[in-house]
Amino acid sequence: MTDTRILIVEDDSETAAAISRTVAELDAEPIVMRSFDAGLEAAGLADFAVIVLDRTLPGGDGIDTIPRIRAKGSNALILVVSALGRAANKIEGLDRGADDYLAKPFEPDELKARLRALLRRRTMEVLDNDLITFGDVQIRMKARTVHIGTNHVAVSPKEFELITYFAQNAGQTVTRMQLLENVWNLHFDPQTNVVDVHVGRLRRKLEAAAGRPIIQTARGEGYVFAPTAPAPTGVES
Amino acid sequence: MLPRPGPASLRLTLAVAAGIIVISLAAMVAQYRLTERSLTARQIELLQSDMDAFAALYEQRRIPALRQAMEFRAGTDPFEAIFLLQDKAGEKLAGNIETWPEGLPALASDDFSITGLRQFNVILGETLTSYQGVTRMLPGGFPLLVARGTGEVDRTLADLRQMIWVVAAFMVLAALAAGWVVARLVLRRIERLNGLADRVAAGDLAARLPGPRSHDEFGALEGHVHQMLDRIETLNRATHRLSDSIAHELRTPLNRMMQKLQNLKGQDAEIAAIQSEMRGTIRIFDSLLDISSAEAQSGSAAGVVPVDLSQCAAEVFELYEPLGEDKGLNMSIHIDPGLWVLGDRNLIAQLLSNLLDNAIKFTPEGESVTLSLTEGPDRHLLSVTDTGPGLPAEIRDEAFERFVRAERDRTTKGHGLGLALVQAIATRHGARLRLLPVEKGFAVETAWPKLAPPAAAAPGPESPA
Repeated sequence: MTDTRILIVEDDSETAAAISRTVAELDAEPIVMRSFDAGLEAAGLADFAVIVLDRTLPGGDGIDTIPRIRAKGSNALILVVSALGRAANKIEGLDRGADDYLAKPFEPDELKARLRALLRRRTMEVLDNDLITFGDVQIRMKARTVHIGTNHVAVSPKEFELITYFAQNAGQTVTRMQLLENVWNLHFDPQTNVVDVHVGRLRRKLEAAAGRPIIQTARGEGYVFAPTAPAPTGVES
Repeated sequence: MLPRPGPASLRLTLAVAAGIIVISLAAMVAQYRLTERSLTARQIELLQSDMDAFAALYEQRRIPALRQAMEFRAGTDPFEAIFLLQDKAGEKLAGNIETWPEGLPALASDDFSITGLRQFNVILGETLTSYQGVTRMLPGGFPLLVARGTGEVDRTLADLRQMIWVVAAFMVLAALAAGWVVARLVLRRIERLNGLADRVAAGDLAARLPGPRSHDEFGALEGHVHQMLDRIETLNRATHRLSDSIAHELRTPLNRMMQKLQNLKGQDAEIAAIQSEMRGTIRIFDSLLDISSAEAQSGSAAGVVPVDLSQCAAEVFELYEPLGEDKGLNMSIHIDPGLWVLGDRNLIAQLLSNLLDNAIKFTPEGESVTLSLTEGPDRHLLSVTDTGPGLPAEIRDEAFERFVRAERDRTTKGHGLGLALVQAIATRHGARLRLLPVEKGFAVETAWPKLAPPAAAAPGPESPA
């Protein structure tokens, strides 16, 4: 998968190095540029899967660079990584063309989960079919129901949205922040881990119906939806 | 907007008018009294001079002289003065009236001073006329009456009184008009400044009064207000810059620390603890920056869109409901559907989240937490109520200040910024916030300015982005 290239536009060398490491862990090739102009030039020269863009470099706001990147003909997904990390900043970034927005300081696992989600989004077939199947786990999109084998699992509307998001990222770590942003459309950090309670309920329902863990807790940062495979390494049930 | 003191102009008008009227009326009353006294004194002087003349004659030749003098003056208009001298049998000897006025006693004396001066009425023809005069029973049984008519004086005084009333009525009108004009001139200038202050309070820091300054106290006041606003605007901009700088300058090194932590091996518990502390730190300054930013944007229209408050409240409640249920709380919700406000959905959700989070955190098992949204007469009323321990009295007044926490809550997780952020977000949306008086527990109500539901608003849950 080394043909997947990720462009990193970041002037802080340590952060750039950390992002590069994470990119390498995802089997992609990191290319680091230290200024908007260099980044823009690079975006026009090669095909990148994802562009990781710092917002506050000398010479302007990274958000203003997004339309210029698009103008260069790049259709890379853009992940803004910025010290402007409040909810208002995030919403502004997402509104103005960023595909995802991660506040500094970030934990490497969070960055990895988000990069992976973006990479999957590029390759993922659109989930417009009615039925998503993982072994004996069936998610019926139109009916908004979940079945495991012959059992119907009664889920609340929110739990259905939750399992749909999990299904789109099956096998990958999904962080609490990602769930809050994508399932609840909330861009702030609640003081209490409210998401855990919801995931816990869904997890218990699924486990009761399947007789095995379907959602696992990933060390530290989030959850993995693994309906068929045995627990991946580094994942505790 | 502050409540406009409506009747101030009326009060000022009335006060100015009343002042002018009272002073003028007092002057006129004084003038009247003076006139009255002077006219009365003049009457008495005339009477005195009549009596003096008669006295001189009586001294010389007694009754015949008096009789002669009276006959000489018999042509005097009886309305002006009356004279009568009778004999022992009550027959008229001389004078300009025929009979002694009924019921008027004659004072036995030959004293020609005006002692025993009295008021009485006499019917002359068909007219009742008032007199002021003296009566005497002169030695030998001769009744004497000398009196001056007061009708003229009374008429003069009556005319004067009437004039005073007319002038007073005119003055009331004139003073009201003058007061109104003065009050309007003053209040219009003040109104301009009040209007400016309202616009500034509503968030428009760039608002200024147009036109040139006048060279008076009002002009100076406007100048000062403008200087203050310029200063506030500068400070506000500086605060924004500072917020961004703080964010950048603190987050970048924190980020390096976070990345370096990842390279440490074998001390997972410690690393997780440090990461958690760092997240907590970020949360504190995020909250502080959110508070400043919400405060700075108060009333500004930037970034606000129509938001379905009913739906937003239901969504956030749904997010917190399981948390409360797991803690053994009775979570209940009452929401009137389709209530819209103009705002920032994420901030409103954060306000609700902070209130619910607080309520759930501080309310013990078995108690209840209620979220309610109803349409009030002029505002949407959103309240979060719990039956927990409530606020200790000592922090009730400052519960919405930054970093204020009750002593008993020191061990509970938190940093005392939740309610301050709630306050700031409410202010940013022009929503009024107050603590509801409840017997037990804690109840916060926010009253939101209403917005008509957009025509295209379709009911149904918002799909996630």
